[in-house]
This record gives sequence, C-alpha cells and structure tokens, in this order.
Amino acid sequence: VKTLTPLAAIPVPEPKPEEAYRTRVADREITFRGLKSLLGAADYSKAGDRNAGLAAASETVREAARGILSGLTLQHLYEHPLTDDQGRVDSVMRVNYDVDREAFAAVAPMTLGQLKDCLLRSPGAEVARLGRGLTGVMAAAVAKLCDVHELIYIARKISRPSKARTLLGSPGTLSSRIQPNHPTDDLRGVSLLCYWGLSVGGGDALIGLNPAVDTVDNVAAILRHLDALRRRTGAPTQICVLAHIKTQLACLKRGAPVEILFQSLAGTERTNLLEFDINVDLLDEGYRTVAREGPLAGLAEQFMYFETGQGSEFTYGKHNGIDMTTTEALTYGLARRYDPYMVNNVTGFIGPETHKDSFEMVLANLQDHFMGKLLGLPMGMAPCYTLHSDITLEGQQMASELVAAAGANYYMDVCLNIDRMLAYFDTSGHDNQTLREVYGRLPAPEFLDWALERGIYTKNAAGAVERGPNWGNPSQFCDSNAEFQELVSATPASYGFASAGPRPADKVSRLVKINQGIGREAIHAELRIEELRRIAPFRLVTTQATSKDAHLGSPDLGAHLSPESRAELRPEHKQVQIVVSDGLSAEAVHHNMKDLMPVLQDGLAGRGWSCGQPILARHGRVKLAEEIADVTDAELIIYLIGERPGGDAQASRSLSAYLVYRLGKPLASGPQSNGSGAARFEYTVISNIYSGGLPPTEAGGVIVERVGDILKHKAAGNRLEAALKANA
Amino acid sequence: MSSVKLVGLDFGTTTSCAVVASAQMTRSAVSGRVELTEITEDYRSEMIFTPLGAHGSLDVRSIETHLDSWLKAGTVRPDEVFGGGALLTGLTAQSANAAALVELIRRRLGDALVATADDPCLESWLAFMGTCAGLSRSRPNLAILNLDIGGGTTNIALGRAGEVERTGCLFVGARHVQVVPGTYRIARLSRYAAALLEHLGIRKGPEDALSRAEVDAVLDFYCGLLEATVLGQSEKLADPVAHLHEQVRFRMRPVAELAVTFSGGVGELLYAHVQGKPWPATTSFGDLGIDLAQRLAQAPFWRTHLAHFQPASAGRATVYGLLRHGTEISGSTLYLPTPNVLPLPDLPILGTVSPDSTDEEVQTIVNLVLRSRRGGCIRVELSPEAGQAASPPAAALREMGGRLAGAFKSSCFPPGHPVVLLLRDNAGKTLGHYATAWGALPLSLVVVDEVAVRDAQYLHIGRPRDQVVPVSYYGLLGETL
Repeated sequence: VKTLTPLAAIPVPEPKPEEAYRTRVADREITFRGLKSLLGAADYSKAGDRNAGLAAASETVREAARGILSGLTLQHLYEHPLTDDQGRVDSVMRVNYDVDREAFAAVAPMTLGQLKDCLLRSPGAEVARLGRGLTGVMAAAVAKLCDVHELIYIARKISRPSKARTLLGSPGTLSSRIQPNHPTDDLRGVSLLCYWGLSVGGGDALIGLNPAVDTVDNVAAILRHLDALRRRTGAPTQICVLAHIKTQLACLKRGAPVEILFQSLAGTERTNLLEFDINVDLLDEGYRTVAREGPLAGLAEQFMYFETGQGSEFTYGKHNGIDMTTTEALTYGLARRYDPYMVNNVTGFIGPETHKDSFEMVLANLQDHFMGKLLGLPMGMAPCYTLHSDITLEGQQMASELVAAAGANYYMDVCLNIDRMLAYFDTSGHDNQTLREVYGRLPAPEFLDWALERGIYTKNAAGAVERGPNWGNPSQFCDSNAEFQELVSATPASYGFASAGPRPADKVSRLVKINQGIGREAIHAELRIEELRRIAPFRLVTTQATSKDAHLGSPDLGAHLSPESRAELRPEHKQVQIVVSDGLSAEAVHHNMKDLMPVLQDGLAGRGWSCGQPILARHGRVKLAEEIADVTDAELIIYLIGERPGGDAQASRSLSAYLVYRLGKPLASGPQSNGSGAARFEYTVISNIYSGGLPPTEAGGVIVERVGDILKHKAAGNRLEAALKANA
Repeated sequence: MSSVKLVGLDFGTTTSCAVVASAQMTRSAVSGRVELTEITEDYRSEMIFTPLGAHGSLDVRSIETHLDSWLKAGTVRPDEVFGGGALLTGLTAQSANAAALVELIRRRLGDALVATADDPCLESWLAFMGTCAGLSRSRPNLAILNLDIGGGTTNIALGRAGEVERTGCLFVGARHVQVVPGTYRIARLSRYAAALLEHLGIRKGPEDALSRAEVDAVLDFYCGLLEATVLGQSEKLADPVAHLHEQVRFRMRPVAELAVTFSGGVGELLYAHVQGKPWPATTSFGDLGIDLAQRLAQAPFWRTHLAHFQPASAGRATVYGLLRHGTEISGSTLYLPTPNVLPLPDLPILGTVSPDSTDEEVQTIVNLVLRSRRGGCIRVELSPEAGQAASPPAAALREMGGRLAGAFKSSCFPPGHPVVLLLRDNAGKTLGHYATAWGALPLSLVVVDEVAVRDAQYLHIGRPRDQVVPVSYYGLLGETL
C-alpha cells in the first residue's frame, strides 16, 4: 500500500499578488492580469471558458497568451500556486505539489516552451519520469502550447500500466470497461449488457455500473450480482459499482465485493466538498481500506478508480476563476496521490455550457489524455456527448480515433453507444473492436486467453488474433433462449445485436441514428404557442435566454424571467400556479399537454384550490419556478418541463412535473431539509410522463393527489416523504 | 425494491406438494411496470401421495400435518406471503370434503393467497404458464398446446407468445383405474372409469384383473379422446361416454404451426423417457399412468412433438404456474386512498362497463355491487383491445368516471362497502378521481389498473407493497382468457 504524504508535509510556496503579464503584438499591447487569466486565454476557445469570461477574445490574443506562457519557467509556475476565491491554497492544489522532487529539479529552470521541446525529443521513459515532477498547472500549461499532433505524439510515448486481476495499459493493448447501466438497476438488463460486452471482447479493464439508486442495500446487491456474473462467465476481470465512496465503504464493511473503489473527482476543494461530499481525508481512508481489506488485497497492485471531466467545477460555479483544462489537470494531480488502477475522462458529458461542439470536445479529450498520462495516470477515455450539444456521433468517433492513436489505455463499452440510465452517448463495444483492428491492439493478456478459449477470438494460420465465431453473441452466456429473451425484454433501447465486421449491422445503426435524430429535433423545436393556447388559456412569459442557442448554452439564463415578463407579473396570492416550459424538449410539451392539462384543471377545480391563469414559459429551466413563485406569491408551482432526450425516440417526448413548494420561512440545513444551506423551496418530482412511461392522463391524477399531500402537510421533497411515511 | 415471499400448494388426484420461493419486485424500465424477478426456490417439499380416507374422501387431518410441516420447513409466516396460491385439482377437488381442506388452508395462511378447488380452466392456464410460458414467449409465432395429464384430469391450454388463448378439461388421467401395484388387478374405479368399462363391454370391478387387451382398450379410448381434442375432431367427442369425460369443452382453432407439450405426472414420465431414463416397473404407482405414458410415447402423432420441445417443470407445472403466474401485480398508480381496506379476498366480479354501456347498464352493475354482501368488482374496458393503448384519452376517462360517479351517487352507495374497478390501461388513479368526483363522494373505492382483465368469477387482492398490489383471479370462465 502506497504511503500517503500527510497534507501538512507537502511544501507549497506562499501565494503572491497577481502579476500582470504583458506582450506587444503588432503595435498592440496585450495584458493579462494574473496567471489564471493568462492560462485561460492561452487555451483553445471552449464554451465553459467563454461563459466564465476566461477564453481569449481572438486568435491573436490567444497566441499572445501562449507566447507569454511559453517563456515562463516551470519554477515561476511553481512559485505561483493558484488560489481559491478567498486567496487560499486549497487541498487539491496542495496535493498537486506532492511531486517527484528530483524530476522537478531537472525541469524547473526550463521555460514551458523548452519543456515541450524536451518532451518531444525525449524517449518515453524519460517523458514519464519528468511528468511525475509536474503539478497539474504545469501539465495544463504545456498542453495549451501543444497542437493536435504534439498532444498525440508525446502521450503516445508514455506507458502507464496498472494491475488488478488483469494487466491494463501494456503496449499493444486496448481495453474496455463494460458500463451496463440500466435506468432502474434491473439486474436482468444489467446481465444482458454485461453478456453483450463480454461477447465483443469488452470488460477486460472492468465491469463497472453507475447505479440508479445510491443506497448501501442496492449497491451491495448489484456488487453481488456482478460478482456472480464474473464467476459464471469465468471472465478474468474486476467489478465495481460507481456509487459514492461512502456507500462503497459501507458495502465493503458489510462484506460486499468492493474490488475497485470508485469516486468522481474535481479540481477544486470546494467542488469536491460541497458537490461530491468528499475531501482528501476521506479519499485517504478509502484507499487504505480497500487496499488492505478489499477482495483484491494482496492480488492487485492498484485499487482506485476515478472519473473526471473538463467543466464540472465551472458548472457548479466553484472553479475559483481557473479555466477548465487547468482544473482538470489539478484533478489528475489529486488522483495521482492514490496510484489508481483506472482514471477515465468523460469530457463532453455535461453539455453545451462547457463544450459546444465536436471540435471543442475532440481537443479537450486530447488535452485530457495528454495531461493525465504525463502526470502519471493510467488514462482511459470516454469521448462522449449529450443531444443538447452540437457534438455528433461522428465527432465523438473522431475523438476516439485520435485518442486511440495517442495510446489511451481503455474505453467505455456502452452497448450501441447509448447509456440507458444517464441519457448520454459514449463509446461502444463495436467502437473498441474497430479501434483494436485499426490500430492493431489486443485485450489485456489474461482476458485474451479466456476470450480465445470461448471462441470470442480465434488465431488464424499466421497466429494473428481475429474475431472468432462467438464474437458478438451475448446469448452464449445464457442457459436457454428463453432466458436470453427475458434479459432482452428488460433492457431499453435493444435495437439488435447483429454486426457487420466489427461494426453494428446497418439496420441496427439506422435505428440508433433515427432515435438520436428525433431526440435532437425535440430539443431544438420551439414551443407552438397558439396550438397550446387552444388547450388551455396560457399567458406567455419569456426568460433571459433570448434564443435557443442561449438557452442551451447558458443554463442560468433560462432560470430567470426577462425584465419585461418580470414587470408584467404581479402578486396573485394563489395556492397553485401551473407553469409549462420547453426545458430541453418542446416536443414533450406538445405531445403531453392535450391529455394532461384537462385532467389537471379538472382536478384542481374539483379540489377547490385557488389557481392562477396557466403560464407558458419559453426557454425555461427548472429554477425559473422559484422566481415565478416569488413574483406571483404562489404557494405551490406545478412546473411541467421537457426532459433532456436520450437514445429513445419515444422517451424524447418525456415530461417532468416539478412540484415546487415555497416555504413560509426558510429551513435551516439539516437532515430534514433538502440540500445544503437554508432552503426556501422544496421539490417533489414526478418524471417520465409520456405515452410509454406514466401516461399524461394518469399523470394528471398523480399530480393532483401529490399537490393535495403537499398543501396538507406544508412540505415537499424529503420532508413530505417523511410525513407520509409517518402517517402510513 | 423489496423482496417478497411466494407460496404454491397443489393438492392433486395422485400427489400433493408445496413450493416456497422468494422474489424481487423490480420495476421494468421497458414497460414501466413492477415485475417479480429473480424467483428463487427456497423450499420444495417431497411429492406425497394425496392422503385419502374412507370412500375416496380426503384425509384432512393427515394433510394438515403435512401442510404444517411444509410451512415450517419453508419458514412461511402468513403476514409475509405476497402471492402464489393453493389449488385442489382433479378428483381431489371433487371430493366430498374438499371445502374442509380449503378452509384449513385459509386458516393457516389467512387472506395472503387465493385458495380454491375445482377450477379446471385456472388449472389449465396455470399448467401452461408453469410449463411453457418462457418457451412460448421466445417463439411468439408458434401456437403451443399444453396437455397437463395428472391423476384425474387432463387440463388443456392453447397459447401463443406467452398468453393463453383458450382452455378446456377432460376427465382423462392416470388414476381413474386404480390397481394393485405390479398387477392390473382393479383396486378402485372412478365413476368415469366405471362408465367407460361399461361402454367398452368390460364387466369388471374391484378385485378383478384387467387383461392386456382390456387395458389397451381403455388406453385407446383415452388417447383417441386426446387426439380428437388436439385435432379439433368434435364429432369424435359426441358419443355419451366421450361427452361424459369432458369437464370443460376445449375448442381447437386452426393454427399454422403447432407444438404440443405435456406436463403433470404423465408428462414427467414422458420427458424422462425421452431423456433415456427407463420406465418404472409395471403399475408401480398403482394406476395406469405409466401405461398411458408408454402408449403416448409409442404413437407417431405424439412422438414428433415430444422430440421437438422439452418444457421446464413438467411434473410440477401447476405449482410452478401458481408460484410464478398465479399472482399478477397491479400498476403502481392505482387509486387507493385508504390502503387499509386491503386485503380484499373473494370479491365477486359482477360485470363489465365500457363506453358502449348505457347509463342503465352502468347503474345495474353498480346496484349489483351494492347488493353483494362482500362488495364486488366491475371490469372497465376503455381501450378496444389489450395492448392497444397505454392510456385512454382524457375525454374518455372523464366521461366514464363521470358516469360511474353518477351511478354511485344515485344509488346512495354506502361509504364502507368495497367496490373495485379493474382495468388493463394505466389510468387507475385518474379514473378513481373522476369516479369519486375528485373525492367528493365518500366511497371505499379501489381502482386496480394495468392487470389483465380475465373472464373470471372472483378476484383476490392482497396487501399493498411498494405501491402495487397482488391480484389473483379464480373461477375462470370461457374459452378465451
């Protein structure tokens, strides 16, 4: 077990006042106030940095920043630790300074430009050695100076293998993590997705599931199921349920097979603490516990698994004025402390507020892989996207090809690219096999032996490994066709398992793409106001998002009324106010209102509650409900809003009902309140309203009943659930 | 979601057994419904010969001893049983004291599960589901006819894509002619066997030995009856003795591709033979079951089917059917303002209302429920056919709910009298609200949605768990279920 340096024993220079970095470009003086500003401007322009006011205004300004950065020494960066909003060096920054001192001494006098040249000229082992002497800020700074070829070429030289049951990241291999996520953690669907992944040679890195429900009971049950699948199939791999670290440690204490310990990480202490509920002490405890007491103790050399991605700190408003690439590199500096078995990057997961299009996502992935490998991590990649960004499947595939060329240790295997629980799109088993064949890579050696035995792979006369007769046949792991069919029946978006070479058969691809097309159309559709006014007498309000692009790219704009609408609304003192908004699917509104509104209006009238005239909000986000509740002085808002579409065309018509209760006086934080800090609003959510989920007519009855509960108990969310439970 | 306990008890003509299982309640992400998954057998009793007393009646005291030992071995607590059922089948169901056994089961297990006797269509349905539901779902275009041949009856069910379409029942079974084991000396004859022997001109009774030719004549009759049933040759079922052997007429329909499967004790013998196991010694069970199985195995007509499909659980089809399919789970947005009205056992199903019903018809059915001492169920058909609509439009619900509310109001329906609406659509909550005028009518109303609305006489609703309720039908009627 690696000895962890106590935080207090990691030397970090005292923060210094911000410097002004100046340069002249063609008669024009360009100044950057402070290192954060310089680093932000030196990066490729990405939506998150633009929204944070950190991106350069032009290519000239960006190149000016890069020019200055190129001339700064590593020692200069060392002596200027980036601070949080209170001017402190936070714990993440401190951990980043836990570097290999000898390696740092070798590069300290170099400028960043010289370091880049040195990395390009040096053999891989030397690059890997020097990387351990760098902080995250240094790795980010050099990444900003690299073009695409350089990001690939340098990373390609670095080997960062790791070992659990299987050896990951050795030269010539490309591995994958099966990600069998299911919207309800239905173990039948989980089994099918695991069988599928194994049948296409996936899962040699890990079988790792993101649970829909993060409770000790549920996570322990899934762990036991994955363990049983591993034993049943005999696949040499390891398992993980990507729950919160506290949940996993509780599972381990209960005897559940927590083989690899997972946690999402961010690059600032405030994000980790306030959003992920973790700190360095907890991570230290988790690492020591799983390494000493986990099922792989004594067998594996690494035990931790971290997931990261550019932009989470900015999205939570806790980036401390630091750009996305740099906070991502700081995350890697934190991950490095635990010598992890796997780190994977999901840049593109958040949406257009951080990465607007394929170009931004591709570059970010190359940067992330480069920085992670340089800093000493066994990087796996998950170039991914959501339908409300302008990233496409083809853009994601370009990223996958380039990062494979750069030598990523592994990818995700999400069946047909569709994550059925998280409603986003990731790499697939087909993608991994395609990349293996294009780049001449094989699975981890232990796994390959097993897959050869099963006929998933075979060796040709020349001894080369090829796809075998059982490649792509998930039913090989079932006892009967009936068992297989039952698994299929429990799995959404089962568009078929037919393959053509390493790719899905065309009929399967067509189904995948048409479903995505319909989902994307639903996001970009505008509300048809007149049609909706024929259903109910809506009054229209607008938000600060004046266009669809602004709405999708800046979530905060849709959370506030436009000045005109705010001026028009008055206190009406009603018990209930219905608000309908497009959110991320106007089509969800169009498809559900005809049957939902009449039932809702009948119910509210039948129960005798006072109601305001229904409101239709164009380009709205969920938080808009709070402002409308304040302005109209409504006790409760029924907020009907389109959900973010995923990979199922019908589900892209799915609506949610947020029942937003305005508290008479704010609740102090505590176990009975919702979220941290004083709460002014409580939320009860009824989701999945569409013809294939909770039908709109039935949803009307469900909403009315729940409104009655909220008004009776004067509580929503957790407090309402507790009150109902107490009354049962 | 939570774990639940299921109990299946089968008291047949020849044998009786119990199975106790655990299952997980899982919400399907595809259908949105709660389903029972990971059904794991916790306990399976030995197969015992159904204890009989004098004159062929049931030895209830002996059965009670077995039942108690089974429940103890299966660690069954009545309050934790979620579903399953107890069935008295074949000639056991026709015993004079069958009702006493049903009462005993209810005393032991309370209202947790349905207990019923002499319900041949339910038995046929359960045997099909227990034998070949999985096979049928995996071959949705194949029509499967299951013959559950037990001691007293052959329960027939035709189904496709995992759904039973029609059922029937013949008094054809192993134990109508009971003999001294190892011989063909008659020990006892059922009234059907006595009539058959007379029809065949065999003037023999207890203590007489049947000749080989006489045994063959009996078997020929049984096999002929089965073959005529499967081939839909109704003219062969017309003579009085054949007609006597029909408990519920099965009407075969033409199918493009048919597979025949077997279950029950005779089915178990047949599949053991197909797997190469030796036949048991002559009449070692004291009846003609082995001979009947041998005759079926030799006939080319049946042999083809035997070789093609080998279903699961052939020998215990009914009890597995009870366990896995005897209980349906409602939708999770049912209308249940006062959950403590449940369980509601043995509610009569008193009629059906649809958009085509007149106001008088709706009122008549509501009045029937009002007059029923235990209350009652009304089937509500809003969408034209099963599986056609997930939910009817708002206008249809408002209209039907309003008409029901009007009928309840005009009959001055009393608040404490149980009334249950059953529908297949996912619309229970909203229909319940409309039918009570959004809570203005103080009714003891439950609306159970997303269940198959079967043509049955009675309904049993268990206690709610995880926002759903278990529902069991019994007293199944008709040919199309």
